[in-house]
Amino acid sequence: MSDQPQYLLDRVFDAPRDMVWRAWTDPDLLQHWYGPGVETTIHKFDLQPGGMWLNEMKWGDKSDLSKMEFQEVTPPEKLVWLHSSTDADWNITANPMMPDWPRVLLATVTFEDLGPKTKVRLTMVPVDASDAEIACFAGAMAGMDSGWGGGYKVLDEMFAELQA
Amino acid sequence: MEQVGYESALPNLDAVFAALADPTRRAILSRLAGGEASVNEIAAPFDISQPAVSRHLKVLERAGLVERGIDEQRRPARLKADNMAAAADWLAEFKAFWGTSFNQLDDILITMKQSGQQDKDHE
Repeated sequence: MSDQPQYLLDRVFDAPRDMVWRAWTDPDLLQHWYGPGVETTIHKFDLQPGGMWLNEMKWGDKSDLSKMEFQEVTPPEKLVWLHSSTDADWNITANPMMPDWPRVLLATVTFEDLGPKTKVRLTMVPVDASDAEIACFAGAMAGMDSGWGGGYKVLDEMFAELQA
Repeated sequence: MEQVGYESALPNLDAVFAALADPTRRAILSRLAGGEASVNEIAAPFDISQPAVSRHLKVLERAGLVERGIDEQRRPARLKADNMAAAADWLAEFKAFWGTSFNQLDDILITMKQSGQQDKDHE
């Protein structure tokens, strides 16, 4: 389906591709940057198709667990994994705040060689999702950029209003 | 899992995002950001019927994004800013997850480059 909602993020890093690949695939390096301003612990990292990356993020007394199952590992070009939130036993769970948030997202990261730099593209799409999950994700993505950011300035206007 | 209190304290973000998935509904919200409006007024610039606008408003109302006035004649619709802000906060968090992580990756790469340079200096 071409109109499948997706999250897309492009970023150019000022480092050669082998180095960027290493920062993504060496768990000691990965846990230093993955997760914004939280303490990330990687409990398991088995970098091969079918292998698991079990991830814990802590902030204060809160803990957020997620499970990634690698689908494709092509050094130093491409990483694909299935991304889910889990309970304490690493069983996939729904987002407690949003039962219709897709339980499983397919994350694809490509690393493009630009000589001394590397272009990274991250996409996330729902997998085996219900109609409700797709609608929830589509709405969120529409709100994220194309919908509100592009043509409709709903949020900007509302924030201006709220701050006034 | 500590889920106690979630239901009452937070809006139903599922419903909010599902409501936002439709471009006509986003356009209606955009229109209402400029001020409250009746169904007639909302329908005017769109190529859709008033009943269709009413249906979209119901979805937006159920999601807690819009409320209707009690004026029997017009029942003007207006935005409920707090639920919209809650949805925007959530999106900002989602965006910040990767954005901030990538900033941290930038820092790691700088450190890696520097230590690689030092290794070379020692050779």
